[in-house]
Amino acid sequence: MEQSAEHILACLSPAPSNARIIRTAATMAQAFGCRFTALFVRTPGYVNLAQEDKTRLRQHTLLAQGLGATVETVFGDDVSYQIAEYARLSGVTKIVIGRSAARRKHPWSKPTLTEKLITIAPGMDIHIIPDASTTPTYRPLPPKPRFLLRDLGITAALLALATVLSYVFSQVGFTEANIMAIYLLAVLLTSVATSTRISYILSALGSVLVFNYCFTTPRLSLRVYEHGAPMTFLILIVAALMMGTLTDKLKSQVTQSTRAAYRTNLLLETSQMLQKAQSEDAIFQVARSQLYKLLNRQITVCPGEDIPAEGDSLRYPIRVNDRLYGSVRIAGAEPLEAFESSILLSILGECALVLENSRNTREKEEAKLLAQNEQLRANLLRSISHDLRTPLTAISGNAGILLSGSDSLPPDTRHQMYSDIYDDAQWLYNLVENLLAVTRIEEGRMKLRTQPQLAQELVAEAMQHISRKKSEHTITVIHQDELLLARCDARLIVQVLINLLDNAIKYTPAGSAIAVSTCRQGETAVFSVADDGPGIPDAEKSRIFQMFYTGSNPIADSRRSLGLGLSLCRSIVVAHGGRMEVDDNSPRGTVFTFTLPAQEVMLHE
Amino acid sequence: MNKPLLLVVEDDATVRNLICTALKANDYRYLTAPNGETALSHAAASQPDIILLDLGLPDLDGVEVIRRIRSWSLMPIIVISARSEDADKIAALDAGADDYLTKPFSVAELLARLRATQRRLSALQGSAAEAVFRNGKLTIDFGAGCAYLDGQELKLTPTEYKLLCLLARDAGKVLTHTYLTGKIWGSSWESDMASLRVHMATLRKKLEKDPDTQYIQTHIGIGYRMLKVE
Repeated sequence: MEQSAEHILACLSPAPSNARIIRTAATMAQAFGCRFTALFVRTPGYVNLAQEDKTRLRQHTLLAQGLGATVETVFGDDVSYQIAEYARLSGVTKIVIGRSAARRKHPWSKPTLTEKLITIAPGMDIHIIPDASTTPTYRPLPPKPRFLLRDLGITAALLALATVLSYVFSQVGFTEANIMAIYLLAVLLTSVATSTRISYILSALGSVLVFNYCFTTPRLSLRVYEHGAPMTFLILIVAALMMGTLTDKLKSQVTQSTRAAYRTNLLLETSQMLQKAQSEDAIFQVARSQLYKLLNRQITVCPGEDIPAEGDSLRYPIRVNDRLYGSVRIAGAEPLEAFESSILLSILGECALVLENSRNTREKEEAKLLAQNEQLRANLLRSISHDLRTPLTAISGNAGILLSGSDSLPPDTRHQMYSDIYDDAQWLYNLVENLLAVTRIEEGRMKLRTQPQLAQELVAEAMQHISRKKSEHTITVIHQDELLLARCDARLIVQVLINLLDNAIKYTPAGSAIAVSTCRQGETAVFSVADDGPGIPDAEKSRIFQMFYTGSNPIADSRRSLGLGLSLCRSIVVAHGGRMEVDDNSPRGTVFTFTLPAQEVMLHE
Repeated sequence: MNKPLLLVVEDDATVRNLICTALKANDYRYLTAPNGETALSHAAASQPDIILLDLGLPDLDGVEVIRRIRSWSLMPIIVISARSEDADKIAALDAGADDYLTKPFSVAELLARLRATQRRLSALQGSAAEAVFRNGKLTIDFGAGCAYLDGQELKLTPTEYKLLCLLARDAGKVLTHTYLTGKIWGSSWESDMASLRVHMATLRKKLEKDPDTQYIQTHIGIGYRMLKVE
């Protein structure tokens, strides 16, 4: 089925109303005939979910799969960001969510999921489905108790220290203003040293209380006599709180800029490495090493397909729009931090883009090659149909004359006609053999069925097939090593030898000597066909191996040369891992030499 | 001499006519079948002496026809193939075909193959159980395990002698490389293929001292055949 460009995303949640959202999304996906993905954003809160919620979530996942959705899971604590990021990377065009996620509870409450999504991904269609659920699925987790205890400890300790110091100062006779400064310092230190907001608020309140209790008259009482004292406390509290907030903000900015620097560095390094990566394998290797550097967890990269789930692991696709290039699996069940996850997504996104680029380049090159092959094929067809016409005209013409009234022709004319028909048919047969060899080399991408062959058997076989005109030439065969074995596809190499011998016969005058010889040179078997004919001018030597080059030799029977032979011979030899060359024979003539890998033989008895 | 009865299985009418014309001109008796099923029923009903079988039939694969005939008869089968792929010929030979011709073939070639197969037939009928094999100047004494050329004992290695016996027992039939290596070493690895070529080359050197008599014919890429020498 032709898929439309739409891509519908529904979010999975344990809320009871979620089933309805999934069904609606599935109906839409069917109506559009498009891709349908169900996304679950696994937040750190997942582990705190009630068992029944987990069961319901599993049911929803199964439902979505049953309705034809691809189920994906992403990790992070910012649900809207994760959804938007996934939607952007996967080319989602429509998001279906429930109304409860879209409704603000109070005008002053935080922006809802829908509002956030609209802000983050403004190009997306968002479909809101009415649902009955009012219970929010996730609540932000309270800060971890361990941190809280530590922070409270620090707060108390600093407060106690400030009090001791203030006591010393008051004994020495310093004024209240100095003591107030000490407490402010304590609040400042608290907000630097702790990570929870509650601690500096407590510290500020505590400072005011202790200051009031211990150092204002009357001492050791919360009562105050001075008129301006409440104002002093208020200023102290406001100053303490503001200081705390400022420090806090500063701290978070420092953290963020450190992280931003880390992120920039890592991404920069990744893109530099990706630029250097030559192959797809290298790109996946970069992805793996960079992710390992980021997460310090075992990473498995699976090119080309969706990686299978395995035990406790997280899975992420490497994709651009709807083209999947591979996926990564990260060992360990604990979800990623939002920060790590965003870098991870950036790295994967960049890898996917580089993969797409490299694939596009390759496809372009392949298309170019294909076009060249097409061009070659067109030339071949044109050349063949031209060359076929001549012998076919001769065959049908001769046969027609013989059919209509052969009795009136003198016997030797008749014989000449029969023999012309036979010769032309033989020529056509040889042409067909060559064409078969060409298609085999093109189709099979040079897939050869090589076997060890005796060089002398190959030559003997070729000698049986060469043209009947060979009796006008003296052909000698010399085998230096009678047991020389060459690894080759026998039929193709015999074809090469036939072409070379036919050429030697065709392009040399009657009575010329032709020598075929084989010998071993190290790891190669060398075959050569030499003649003492007129030779080939140097200018033409480089061109004779081109396809359809027929040369300007006046001896050549113009209609009988397709110009396929030598280029085909060279392709066959090269496909065997050998080379073919042409040289001058001494004192005159031409030598064609080609090599094949020689086969060592261990004799079995 | 009683000319044998031939069954010509060929779907192409022109080629069938060509073969029939050649057979008629040489006084052979023949039946024709345009497809595999007809061929099988003729083969069973008329018991021809030799079958000429085209591999590319409209209804059945030629190799399948050979297998079915071989399940009940040893009648010689000569395969005619337009396919120039060696693999098809090897499959046909391994299925039990005796010989092959590749299109286009000349009439002279066809008649020569027929004569060779006839000679093989009469030799089979005459000397099936004979302990001594004679072919031209070559004599093999299977009982003594010796081979003689022109009365002189040939000094053969054990492998060469085994090869010679295999070829002699099926003289006139093309034996594929795989068949030969399987019979001699029980395997057909590539090293066996190379060894086979070399052993065959040395055997021929000892056997064919006289360049005019050829005992062993090479079918490149396919196998070897022992020729009957007059």
